[in-house]
Amino acid sequence: MTDLNIIIGGPQGGGIESAGQIAVKSLVLKGYNILGSREYHSNIMGAHSYYHLRAKEDKPGSLTLPVDALLALDAETVLTHYREVRPGGIVVYDPAVKATRVDSIQPMAPPLKERVKKDLESRGLPTTAEGALKAMESEGVKLVGLPLKAMLRKVSEEAKAPIASVSKTVNTLGLSAMLYMLGVEPGYIEKAISLQFAGKEKVIRMNVAAARIAVEYVREVYGEPEVLPDGPHKGKVRMVASGNDLVAMGKIVAGVGFLSYYPITPSSDEALYLERHKYVKLDDGMAEKVGYDRLSVVAVQMEDELASINAAIGAALAGARSSTTTSGPGYSLMNEGISLAVEAEVPIVVTLWMRAGPSTGMPTRTGQQDLLHSIFSGHGDAPKIVIASGDHVEAFYDAIKAFNWAEIFQSPVIHLLDKYLASAMASLDREELDLSKVVIDRGKLVDNPGEGYLRYKITEDGISPRARIGDAVMYMTGLEHTEDGKATEDPVAREQMMFKRERKMRKVLEVLPEEDKAVLYGDPDADVTLVSFGSTKGVILDAMKMLEGKGVKANFLQIRLLSPFPEDLVADILSSAKKVITVELNLMGQLAFLLRAHTGVKPDSQVIKVNGRPIYDYEVVEGVLKALDGAGRVVVSGGS
Amino acid sequence: MARSWLEYKAPAWVQWCPGCGDFGILNAIYRAVAELDIPPERLVVVGGIGCSGRTTFYVKGSNAHALHGRAIPMATGIKLARPELTVIVAGGDGDLLGIGGGHFVALGRRNVDITVILFDNAVYGLTKGQAAPTLPAWIKTKALTSPNIHDNVNPVLLAFSAGYTFVARGYAYHTSQLKELIKTAVRHKGASFIDVLQPCPTYNNVMTNKWYEERIYYVGEDYDPIIRTREDFKEKLPAIMEKLLEFGDRIPLGILYWDQTKDSFEERLEKIMPGYMQAPPGTRRISVDGRPIVDPFEVFKDRVIVT
Ligand SMILES: Cc1ncc(C[n+]2csc(CCOP(=O)(O)OP(=O)(O)O)c2C)c(N)n1
Ligand SMILES: [Mg+2]
Repeated sequence: MTDLNIIIGGPQGGGIESAGQIAVKSLVLKGYNILGSREYHSNIMGAHSYYHLRAKEDKPGSLTLPVDALLALDAETVLTHYREVRPGGIVVYDPAVKATRVDSIQPMAPPLKERVKKDLESRGLPTTAEGALKAMESEGVKLVGLPLKAMLRKVSEEAKAPIASVSKTVNTLGLSAMLYMLGVEPGYIEKAISLQFAGKEKVIRMNVAAARIAVEYVREVYGEPEVLPDGPHKGKVRMVASGNDLVAMGKIVAGVGFLSYYPITPSSDEALYLERHKYVKLDDGMAEKVGYDRLSVVAVQMEDELASINAAIGAALAGARSSTTTSGPGYSLMNEGISLAVEAEVPIVVTLWMRAGPSTGMPTRTGQQDLLHSIFSGHGDAPKIVIASGDHVEAFYDAIKAFNWAEIFQSPVIHLLDKYLASAMASLDREELDLSKVVIDRGKLVDNPGEGYLRYKITEDGISPRARIGDAVMYMTGLEHTEDGKATEDPVAREQMMFKRERKMRKVLEVLPEEDKAVLYGDPDADVTLVSFGSTKGVILDAMKMLEGKGVKANFLQIRLLSPFPEDLVADILSSAKKVITVELNLMGQLAFLLRAHTGVKPDSQVIKVNGRPIYDYEVVEGVLKALDGAGRVVVSGGS
Repeated sequence: MARSWLEYKAPAWVQWCPGCGDFGILNAIYRAVAELDIPPERLVVVGGIGCSGRTTFYVKGSNAHALHGRAIPMATGIKLARPELTVIVAGGDGDLLGIGGGHFVALGRRNVDITVILFDNAVYGLTKGQAAPTLPAWIKTKALTSPNIHDNVNPVLLAFSAGYTFVARGYAYHTSQLKELIKTAVRHKGASFIDVLQPCPTYNNVMTNKWYEERIYYVGEDYDPIIRTREDFKEKLPAIMEKLLEFGDRIPLGILYWDQTKDSFEERLEKIMPGYMQAPPGTRRISVDGRPIVDPFEVFKDRVIVT
């Protein structure tokens, strides 16, 4: 069984992302499933960034530490990650960085410098990159030095291009050397390079030359490595996409017509990917069926998030499937708009990519701190739908379901995801994005409302027939209103509308299938039940297997629908749980709070992580073991 | 005249104070849309929050009432989803230039085909008379505890610099002149703006009907605000700037600036996505027999890998 874990690190702007993607593609071509995510600073150039990757035969649910191989494209990477490589693993580095002192590295965070110096000093090692390399070596890590400067000169000769123009291939040099040492045949690396830079022939040529030079060098110095066996997923048509990509894909499949946004990490890449595909040519057969041959999505960068949400509301009123995408700070600005969408019963989808707060916090780091923020967003008793996706596949389908629910229940739907899922890439099979499972349901949308149309007609399920703006004389408003949408402060009419909106949320709980509310994984009779939501899903599923190896039988309750909260279902499942441990990436224990509020179940322990890094499988294991030892709250803190 | 203005009078009690300038604006809107023969269900009046925003409920249309300050983005979403509709924004000076000032500017940059009617009473009517962004400094209206020490913004100059392609000023009590301005603004393909001076008899006891009557005048036949070419712009700019800046002892009314050279936002969208207008997002079909019309493995080829 292959379980390959890699970190590729270097300065931001130094091609870390593309090296990571080439690694991802090489391993996918080789037949593996991959999971890879980028950790980076809120900075354009120079700060430390790294790509963290895992490849397995089955689906990796979690990234993990320590890794098998570290590619360090600068001294800071060596000094940041030297404690994250397993004995027997390798580090690929440039010997030229050896003499670099911790104190001389400007971008390196001062608290990290202090921690590293203390550690190296305590081992009697110099506080330089060389010290860190020695520390690794003494723990059985193999050092693979690459004279990058000399190699670049060779690339320049080979590609017949000046050094300056080939200097960007330094990431490919390092990456190819590392992948080759890990047993990936050069053919895969070269093919991945061509895929990565498709359409840019010159860039491909330069990088392929670099790959060959690197492979040749390590073969000469370290000999032929043992070939990594091929994975089981060869000969397939697969997709490799990030969470951002998959949400954008889901939206387009769902028929989104309008997307408004204001740039903010980590939502911008979703908008960017959607914009890249906002204009789709339909095949002739389809064009005939729908009556047009070019599908165009109006994607507009607005002046702020206030505009984004209100423009999305406008487009939804006019009949478009309409959405906006943002992160915590932007969502704060959208709050009043959410409340309007509740009161005026507007079907909009708001994609909320959580990042580490409060305030601007750590813009490029992950967290699950906006659970309560999303549920309680909007002033004045504003019930809404909140769904959290656990992984890439769910992110795709949820993006589609969100539009269906928005239109069926005429309500804002908040699709909750996080930075980790946003930037994490995963390999997917065709069956996993199966359109036969997808329906487009527009609820009570009417094309010909006719005379006497009432936008807010009182009905048994609380849902009124919905006409588009432009098809009937009508009034839509955020003021309390009568059935015809005219403003009112009449106490009886007011109450009717309050309960109408409440009935819609009841209906949500009535009609949604259980799999969209809460899902129990594993043996119902387990000794301990882990409860979580969002992107911790894969991590917990992986950790369950590891726990089993340690003799702990755990199951996992994933809460999918956070609002309206499926309290009966969750209470029922938890009633037979022997021990309840929540796992979440926030300080307040926001999910634990909801469990108590809705089911009266007080978790026995909480495992939390708030350092802005994703949670890893071994941390869940560690947390659960400590919790079983009686700890009330376990804080896990892994990652660089 | 194809339709009677009465067809646009919604059955509702109009809640404004007696003598309010808003009545004049409402009447001008009724008459303009009647003369333009816009079917009520194709007319969209998007109101802000304030006395003025209530216009939403008084005009028969397919209307939406926005949050305070957010009428313009809401109208933008509506118009871009269904570009065939006539979209009019009705809002106060607090709404459009105070809390919604950023959107006011952004609409000019986009030149979306929307008509913005500013109910300019220089006070916050609905919240009982606080100073609005158009109240000149040192005026003390009756709800203020001391004279206003904020300078006033010049709405027509702001609209011009933001990129609105039609900029005019009207007077609330001059219904028939205002009606003509509204008609021209609605017909114009692009972002149009009318600053309507609107006495608030309840809270603005300084800028009264009399105060305005002493100052307002209509620009004459000799004033040419129309830009047909870029050369035109250079040539006419000095005279246009003079009119846009004039606000004091004399206040010009009428069309102050009209740029006919620019594409609307919808036309720009059509340029980058031909076919958009024919199958706009609000009305196009998005499924066949309840199934999606695009397959991710066909459309998102940049993420597909054959192993
Ligand atoms: C976010 C928000 N802040 C404050 C208010 C309270 N408010 C209602 S109307 C208004 C001002 C109205 O003034 P203006 O826009 O000039 O309209 P007018 O009443 O003068 O026509 C304010 C501040 C609100 N509704 N929403
Ligand atoms: Mg006002």
